[in-house]
Amino acid sequence: MKVLVTGASGLLGSSVARALVEAGHEVSTLQRRASLVDGAQDHLGSVSDPEVVGLAMAGQDAVIHLAAKVSMAGDPAAFEQVNIEGTRTVLAAAQEAGVHRFVHISSPSVAHSGDSLVGVPAEPANPRTARGEYARTKAHGELLALAADSEAFPVLVLRPHLMWGPGDTQLTERIIERARQGRMPILGSGAALVDTLYVTNAVDAIVAALDAVSEVHGEPLVVTNGQPRPIGEIIERFALAGGAPKPKLRIPVKTALAAGTAVEKVWELGEHDDEPPLTHFLAEQMSTAHWFDQRRTREVLKWEPAVSIDEGMAALAAHYGG
Amino acid sequence: MKFAHAPAALPGPLPQWDPQWSRLVTVDTVDGEHTFHVLDTLPALRAAGREPTGTILALHGNPTWSYLWRHLAAATVDAATAVEGGRVWRVIAPDQLEMGYSERLAHDGLPTTHGTGYRRIAERVTDFDAVVTRLLAEAPSGSAGAAPAGAPGAAAEAPAGHPVVTLGHDWGGVLSLTWAARHLDVVDAVISLNTAVQHTGDESLPAPLQAALAGPVLPTSTVLTDLFLRITLGLGQGPIPKEIKDAFSSPYQDAAARRGIGAFVADIPAQETHPSYAELQQLGEDIAGIDVPALLIWGPKDPVFVERYLRDLRTRLPHADIHRFEQASHLVSEDADVSGVVLRWVEERFPGQGSPAAGAAARQPADVTAGAADEPAGASASMTSEAASTADGPASDQAQMIYDALDERAGSRAVASVDMSQRPPQSITWTQLSSVVDGIARGLQQLGLQKGDRVSLLVSPGNNLTAALYAVLKAGGVAVVADAGLGPAGMTRAVKAADPQWIIGQRPGLTLARGAGWPGRRISVTPVDALGRVAFGVETSLTELSRTSATEPIRTPEPDDDAAILFTSGSTGPAKGVVYTHARLGELAAVLQWYFKVRPGTGLVAGFAPFALLGPGIGATSVTPDMSVTKPRTLTAAALADAIIAADCTMVFASPAAYTNVCATASELSEEQRAACANIELVLSAGAPVPLPLMDALAEIFPEAAIHSPYGMTEGLLLTDIDRQGVAAAEAQTRHQGVCVGTPIPRVRFAVAPLDDAGRSGRELLTGEDAVDVLGEFVVSAPHIKAGYDRLWYTDAASKRDELAGLSWHRTNDIGHIDQEGRVWLEGRLQHVLTTAEGPLGPGGVEAVVDRVPGVFRSALVGVGPEGAQVAVVVIEPDAEAPAGSRQKPGLATLELADEVRAAVAEHYSTDIAAVLSSPPFPTDIRHNSKIDRARLAVWADAVLRGEPVGKP
Repeated sequence: MKVLVTGASGLLGSSVARALVEAGHEVSTLQRRASLVDGAQDHLGSVSDPEVVGLAMAGQDAVIHLAAKVSMAGDPAAFEQVNIEGTRTVLAAAQEAGVHRFVHISSPSVAHSGDSLVGVPAEPANPRTARGEYARTKAHGELLALAADSEAFPVLVLRPHLMWGPGDTQLTERIIERARQGRMPILGSGAALVDTLYVTNAVDAIVAALDAVSEVHGEPLVVTNGQPRPIGEIIERFALAGGAPKPKLRIPVKTALAAGTAVEKVWELGEHDDEPPLTHFLAEQMSTAHWFDQRRTREVLKWEPAVSIDEGMAALAAHYGG
Repeated sequence: MKFAHAPAALPGPLPQWDPQWSRLVTVDTVDGEHTFHVLDTLPALRAAGREPTGTILALHGNPTWSYLWRHLAAATVDAATAVEGGRVWRVIAPDQLEMGYSERLAHDGLPTTHGTGYRRIAERVTDFDAVVTRLLAEAPSGSAGAAPAGAPGAAAEAPAGHPVVTLGHDWGGVLSLTWAARHLDVVDAVISLNTAVQHTGDESLPAPLQAALAGPVLPTSTVLTDLFLRITLGLGQGPIPKEIKDAFSSPYQDAAARRGIGAFVADIPAQETHPSYAELQQLGEDIAGIDVPALLIWGPKDPVFVERYLRDLRTRLPHADIHRFEQASHLVSEDADVSGVVLRWVEERFPGQGSPAAGAAARQPADVTAGAADEPAGASASMTSEAASTADGPASDQAQMIYDALDERAGSRAVASVDMSQRPPQSITWTQLSSVVDGIARGLQQLGLQKGDRVSLLVSPGNNLTAALYAVLKAGGVAVVADAGLGPAGMTRAVKAADPQWIIGQRPGLTLARGAGWPGRRISVTPVDALGRVAFGVETSLTELSRTSATEPIRTPEPDDDAAILFTSGSTGPAKGVVYTHARLGELAAVLQWYFKVRPGTGLVAGFAPFALLGPGIGATSVTPDMSVTKPRTLTAAALADAIIAADCTMVFASPAAYTNVCATASELSEEQRAACANIELVLSAGAPVPLPLMDALAEIFPEAAIHSPYGMTEGLLLTDIDRQGVAAAEAQTRHQGVCVGTPIPRVRFAVAPLDDAGRSGRELLTGEDAVDVLGEFVVSAPHIKAGYDRLWYTDAASKRDELAGLSWHRTNDIGHIDQEGRVWLEGRLQHVLTTAEGPLGPGGVEAVVDRVPGVFRSALVGVGPEGAQVAVVVIEPDAEAPAGSRQKPGLATLELADEVRAAVAEHYSTDIAAVLSSPPFPTDIRHNSKIDRARLAVWADAVLRGEPVGKP
């Protein structure tokens, strides 16, 4: 099959592209930097550039749309540019090119209004209640993708939740780094139960979606390891795997929420290009439960995570020389 | 204040209300034509293509319109469309005149107790008659004559006619019963929720009603304001949602609309001078003439319709089935599943062709392999072998009465019972015991004790209790044994539910009885002085009764008469009364005698209260060791040895807690005491499974003894048995989940009702090979299990719903599996099942493994998350004696402990443990201090794992 992977310069995108190459597919990628995936043909450019996208799309059978602007703060227009307009552009080009399998990678945050999520299925995306620019624009993008779904153009949406593992800079690396500096707090009791997803399981699930989309489409699926854990336990295990001391800093939830809001405000005033150290959104994420019912996901994808949390932690420790 | 006439109306859109149910019906009444709003499901049934084959006529009281019956309307319509061939029940429920959405008459003034112009009881009964007669004529076969199905066998016959059943609540209860009593040619059965038939002058009205009736208050509270309505709607046990309260209040938006509520209350005949007083006396007599099946559904937390009204109804309808929802109040149909009980009861009484009740027996396989060992203690047999036949076990050509063994030994000078807690130890011979028992039994009968009278025994264990118990049983009384283990609140609730006619008690018990206002004539243990007699209302004492001379023979009971009511420990809801008949108690004694080879003269040490009571029944000499029976941990090895020596005992019965302390104090034994212990042949533990290390320690003290740990429950005290070798063999097997309790004892049959994905046990019963390794609820049958639950018709019917092989069965609520060797493995309680994505999971297996992790005192496995997608969470109660460094704070367990727990679980099970939480001390029951309240722990774990602050479970 000829498959185009967008956003293949990140850990997940490049891993998916690599797995597809290994599975014998003819793989192209589209992103601003080189994918560094052996055997894949890179197209460099932005997903919101119709010309580049059209070129990359020519002759493809399937698309895995991973490209997104992922950040906790920043200019709303920048999020919209990639997550909404980029998705719109990729969808249009794919339909134009006669693509007949489309896997759209979204995020559980598109349906999260801030309350605890306890064993819930994938609820519909809602840009009005999603928290923060990233979630809002991803929600919008997901709705565009699902609206484009049809028998001729089947679309399946995957929402991987809190991906981690060796090489992940978004979550794993940051927590370990902060823990090393003694700046990684545990909020409240640290018992809030959260789902996570080991990186290779995420790759397997996306590859499985490429098969499944011809059978089942037009719906979102949250993808997790199906092993929710207390957030405090996850953070401690990351720290230990990364050779950092156990986090000792404990902050009451209310303090963290207030502090997060304050930091965001200050951050917005300055000319910061990087992430604020704490946001209200992050504090909320770290102090409320969010885990999911995986029955539908596993049924549709005919997939089960191959690597358990314990095995993943061992691999992480090995990665950091432990 | 003048009130204008207002026509009947149809309700607007209301929650849980189908507009199809609303009809306006105009009929001729005592004062001309009036229009009633009626809830009638006929149009809904016909719209679904169903024609009614039975009718329930329901009448509301307060809450004050037929919105009260919405759940029943929905349930009957659902049932009619869900089950092909079942009986189709129509519900007709009029709003009384001037109430709900029915017509309002013109009046010149407010209603008063003696005024005229407002409806009174007699007119209301004729109103009801007019409406239902008209509506019954609409569906064919309004004529009665449907024969109620008394026995299950009748169920297979063709559906009978078109039964008509009345149903009422509050004032509607008494009105519907009155109508039924006067139309027994039409009515086939009656049902009432909380109501009151008669008010006699010698008991004052309940305070809330007195207040409402007080002259000037009446119109203010009921008509001029909506106070009465609001108070009523506040009587629910849980808060009633606002939209439901609004729906109840919707026809009563202003004073004029509320006039009927005032009239209703004003017609309560509190005094003999009241215009309705004579009518009420008459209808009371009429109701006593009702001879069709009856069901009383009661919410005991009702401040108005208190216990004595139920007692009065029971007297008038002695044949009535009763179901008490202990947690429900006046609004019993809002608090509890009333429509479930009603529907089940009418279905059982009047089964339709092809209804579940009628077809169940035929669909089940006829052959059953009894899961039974065929030899006494110690031997085990394969469940799948051909052996197990009902011929095993004690011979039972003739029913054995529990006092037979006592009678047989009446001439023996040998010791029957020794109480080592007395100084000096108090011995009593068989002759003495027999004579005291007979004296008390005669005395009770001379005092007026009738067969079936309930006698509450508030006496602590010892010779006095033993004598009182056997006397009550022999005299045909029903012994109500509510023990202190239920806690004061639980005990009060239990005694109130059983409603004894007599109380025999010591001072603490009598004080409690007086304080809580329990009913019943009072008898003390030892004589009390004149002052005490007045203070406690005591008539006489056991001491005095025991001296009653043998002028006439004792009128003894029949085998099928009720003998005793015991109570469950109440760890999964209010304690339930469990009824044993004499036949079943006799069977229990027989199986104990036979299975554990108790011979005349066998001496047993009874360190566990129930066995002390059974001693005389099995003809054994029982010795109560010097200990506090309610605190088993006070039994020392030396006290136990002294008890053994006192009667050359060869058997010891005690609880695991008592044995733990015996082992801990074994080093204090003298040579003589050690030698006495070496004579013991049987060590029996009861109350909870015994861990192997404790059994091993016991084997050191009692080197010659077989060590047994039977499994049972209040409803079936002796079901399976396992010995030390059996426990060791089971522990060596890692494949099985749960706690092995051994094989069924002879004459006990085990079946398994498999669990579905939602963790509920289904209708299907598996036995023999089919049942092997299937997770399900244990369903048991034996001659010595309970006769029924007391005044819990619904619970009883549900527990006995199986008819496999024509036997009577008991749903135990315990879950687990039976292995290839026929061994029973417990995995928890039905209501504690986790429903994970991988299927249902019993908590017992994982808990047994986690309990052995160092630093864990005890554990509970609970599920959090929605049904079918739950994840498993281990909650531990840390060992209080753990070294300071490894102490667990409430909340998330340390990473080290979580690792150990997960590793231990992973050795046996594939279950993913999402979290390990450390809890403050577990909530447990009072009686055993061991039954963990997992429901509360699950709520706590859920909150903690949502990220909420860590509080207490």
